[in-house]
Amino acid sequence: MPIDIGERLRGLPTGSAVALKIDPREYADHYFAVLNATLRDVGSETNAHTIYVAVTNPAAFVWTLAQALDVPIDRISFVDAISHIMMNYANPLPNATYVESPRALEEIMLRVEYLLRKYPHPRSIVVIDSVNSLAIHNPPELLSEFFHILLNNLKSRSVLTLVLETVEEEQTGVEQMLNLVVDETIDVARAGR
Amino acid sequence: MESPSDAPASAPSGTTPGLMGPATILPRCATGIEGLDNILEGGIPRGNMVLVAGSVGTGKTTLSLEFLVRGAERGERSLFISVTEASSKLIQNLSTFEFFRRDLIEQGSLVFVDLPVIYDRLGLGEEELTGEEIDILIRTIRDLVRSLGAQRLVLDSLTSVCYRIRKDEQIRDFMLRLGQELNELGCTSLLVSEIGPNPARYSLHGVEEAIVDGVILLWNTRRFGDILRVVQIVKMRGTSHSRAQYVLELTPIGILMAPHLKGGREGGP
Repeated sequence: MPIDIGERLRGLPTGSAVALKIDPREYADHYFAVLNATLRDVGSETNAHTIYVAVTNPAAFVWTLAQALDVPIDRISFVDAISHIMMNYANPLPNATYVESPRALEEIMLRVEYLLRKYPHPRSIVVIDSVNSLAIHNPPELLSEFFHILLNNLKSRSVLTLVLETVEEEQTGVEQMLNLVVDETIDVARAGR
Repeated sequence: MESPSDAPASAPSGTTPGLMGPATILPRCATGIEGLDNILEGGIPRGNMVLVAGSVGTGKTTLSLEFLVRGAERGERSLFISVTEASSKLIQNLSTFEFFRRDLIEQGSLVFVDLPVIYDRLGLGEEELTGEEIDILIRTIRDLVRSLGAQRLVLDSLTSVCYRIRKDEQIRDFMLRLGQELNELGCTSLLVSEIGPNPARYSLHGVEEAIVDGVILLWNTRRFGDILRVVQIVKMRGTSHSRAQYVLELTPIGILMAPHLKGGREGGP
């Protein structure tokens, strides 16, 4: 029986860390289902503030999709770690902060921290899009350390953390590493959309 | 005067002594920089004289200024003695931070003094200071702190002062006496020390770090070509503290810190 991602996420205890597995063969459908569930079903319906860490696609692209889902500008902020490296940040978004490189993992942590402090909210969500993109730029030891520290920090502050993961054909160790740090994995392919 | 951060001989607010805690916890001067206070177990022991050492662009002045602003916000009069940069320019730069409040200056809680102006008034020349002139300088700083009732002091930079005190024994004497005077007045001080990017020591002469109660070291490090600002507490008398390295970011709301990721590698200045 297909699962409803939004319902699953809403039912999680505060401070949970969840991996959302996306099938690359159905990337567009799965990605939109994830955005719909996180930004609209969970974000808007629970009146939460979402901090979206954009590493796969630039914040401007995700913001366009978020607008299509009627997400208000004061309910989402971006940590964009990809536009700089693409030399594509001439028109910065008012609700985004830009990190120079996806290799600056501490800076990503600090920008998330900055946004959590700047926009204190009873319910916050952090979306990391994605573990695979971070793995392209960072060695596995650094990435494991990053996720271990960040996710524990967010858990202690009752922040729901969602990590997007594209399922890879070959074993790269990313999946194993993520399994060690998240509380739950949701396979988007099994979810009803 | 007891300040809000003068905790009794028990754990400072927000910290617990833990199983390895000391028998007595000294009253703290919370820096107001949350990450720093966490790794210092509540803040700098009150009355300590601390060297803030780092190369250019590592955030020494910003850290020191935030320490003063946060103190002034808590009702502790805070004094900045500038040696190299005009106060007006410092205030202009400070106004870009959200944590800065101009009213703290207007109401006299945050005071800026330019040392070259003091040198002029005291008739101290441009050259090397004599023993007598060093004595006058110490008394002037002490009287300034006393008359203002300052509980926090920043001297930016100690290096510039030490350029005019050439002999190691005179520097040692200057530091010892200044530290003693400030401690007696209950004033916690940060002395900014400018060092090179790959230092063998934390100050101009190497004498200074032996005298002070604490050393906060800042440096830039590279990972895959990107520069990270790193901070580490090398020494702090009167408290146990973290010895780990932290990445520091100067954000509009103030300094934020995160653990320096190593990925199994060594790191250092």
